Amino acid sequence: MKGEVFGLLGPNGAGKTTLIRTLLDLLHPSSGNARIFGLDSHRDSVRIAQRLGHLPGEFAFGNRITGAEMLSILADIRRADLGHSDDLAQRFRADLSRPLGELSRGNRQKVGLISAVFHRPDLLILDEPTSGLDPLMQEEFLSLVREEQTRGCTILISSHELDEVERVCERVGIIRDGRLIAVERVADLLHRAGRRVAVTFGDPVDLAGLERLAGVSSLRIEGSRAEFTASGDVDALVKFLASQDVSEVEIAHPTLEEVFLTYYDEKRT
Amino acid sequence: MTALLGAKLSERRRAVIAWGLPLGLWSAFIVAIYPSIESALTKAVRGYPASLKEAFGVGELTSVEQYLHAEMLSLIVPLVVGYLAIRSVAIGLSGAAESGRLDVLLSAPVSRRDVVVADCVATAIELALVLALSWLFAVGASAIFGSGLDPGSALAGFASVWPLALLAGAIAVVITGWSLHTPVVTGAAGGLLIAMYALDLVGRLDPNLDGLRYASVFRYYGNAIESGIDPWSFFGVVGAAVLLTAVGTVLFERRDLVA
Repeated sequence: MKGEVFGLLGPNGAGKTTLIRTLLDLLHPSSGNARIFGLDSHRDSVRIAQRLGHLPGEFAFGNRITGAEMLSILADIRRADLGHSDDLAQRFRADLSRPLGELSRGNRQKVGLISAVFHRPDLLILDEPTSGLDPLMQEEFLSLVREEQTRGCTILISSHELDEVERVCERVGIIRDGRLIAVERVADLLHRAGRRVAVTFGDPVDLAGLERLAGVSSLRIEGSRAEFTASGDVDALVKFLASQDVSEVEIAHPTLEEVFLTYYDEKRT
Repeated sequence: MTALLGAKLSERRRAVIAWGLPLGLWSAFIVAIYPSIESALTKAVRGYPASLKEAFGVGELTSVEQYLHAEMLSLIVPLVVGYLAIRSVAIGLSGAAESGRLDVLLSAPVSRRDVVVADCVATAIELALVLALSWLFAVGASAIFGSGLDPGSALAGFASVWPLALLAGAIAVVITGWSLHTPVVTGAAGGLLIAMYALDLVGRLDPNLDGLRYASVFRYYGNAIESGIDPWSFFGVVGAAVLLTAVGTVLFERRDLVA
């Protein structure tokens, strides 16, 4: 939907990049077609590209050219103003004066990110955008995504990091073995998959009490520590823990693989 | 398109110097030493078998133009500049696809056809500049060392290499329609160029095989430094190069961009 941040989730090799490259007319579909802005992605690829920004997973534009030179070429092709690129370079601390071949992968990715957004596109396609970025820059990136969305830009992010997708996307498409197997709201996806919980108790673990709780599964006990998956309504779990002597609680997202397993289990039943 | 061509030309600046300078210096050396070896050379060449002279396009070598043709323009310059054309096309298309650069470029509003055309035009200009630089060095050396090289004849000699090199580049464009592996493109196109030279050589050595020469671009290359440019051959080969480039462009547009 217009103005939405849509995530494309899947393990490595699932087909996320293939889908993106097909949308960009770098690959041709063996059957069917794709439409962007109501235009055919193959026939109207140039018209689509006028309103598009793209960051590939491994950004490259030759080793000798500097970031500034590359942006200047892209600005000439797009007949766009370069003004915004300086602000972005400052914000991401990107060095545009050095040849791309001398930059680390993360710093090259920053230049790629600037090249994808400097012309203020209507659609932004980002393939594994934070790979190589340090945590600070990842935060900055996520904040840029939100700003672009506020501006009205529609954003497609491919990732295998559930945390990253959860923070910016409203909906996700799950792709596996080249097939889009589900499109869900992120909240629903996480709700279904539950959270991984690890609790260290002061007293011996009340195994029977834990097992009785609805939504608790994959329970594993090790000494005074219990690890389990909690899904659905967590009210009963919180109340149960409140009644216990708890010294430590860790709550984490499930891994992507666990989300997939949950999804497949439900499909099977 | 203009922006893309400008970018492509900017990338080729180094190649013009890197290829034009050695070729130019070598040509200048050949022209510069001619006055001092002229008489000995004439005698030596008269002793060569006629078939050998025919095969390598060596005439009587009684002028600096003939000597420049024998030493540079009959083999070295066409093969080197032909290979440069192949290399430039391969780097600009298959190399760009392999490195991921094409992904970024084609995300901007340019078509694949624009990319191929810009690459070929930039290659054509690059080749012309390399040949012009070589000519300039040869003419300069002649002026300094008093070799008596006729600038007009030398220009015709170097200019006649251009269509041949364009055709070599066009073959490389066609091959990118099948493969985006740079070594495959340069190897196959370079191999074809050498095969065409060998075909022409065999045809010249054995009159019974003369018909084979029509399949070789070297058949239409000739000896322009002595006999001037044959417009039919010149524009015919340029036309063939344009046609092959058009075929290569269609193949490139239709293929998936995966190396």
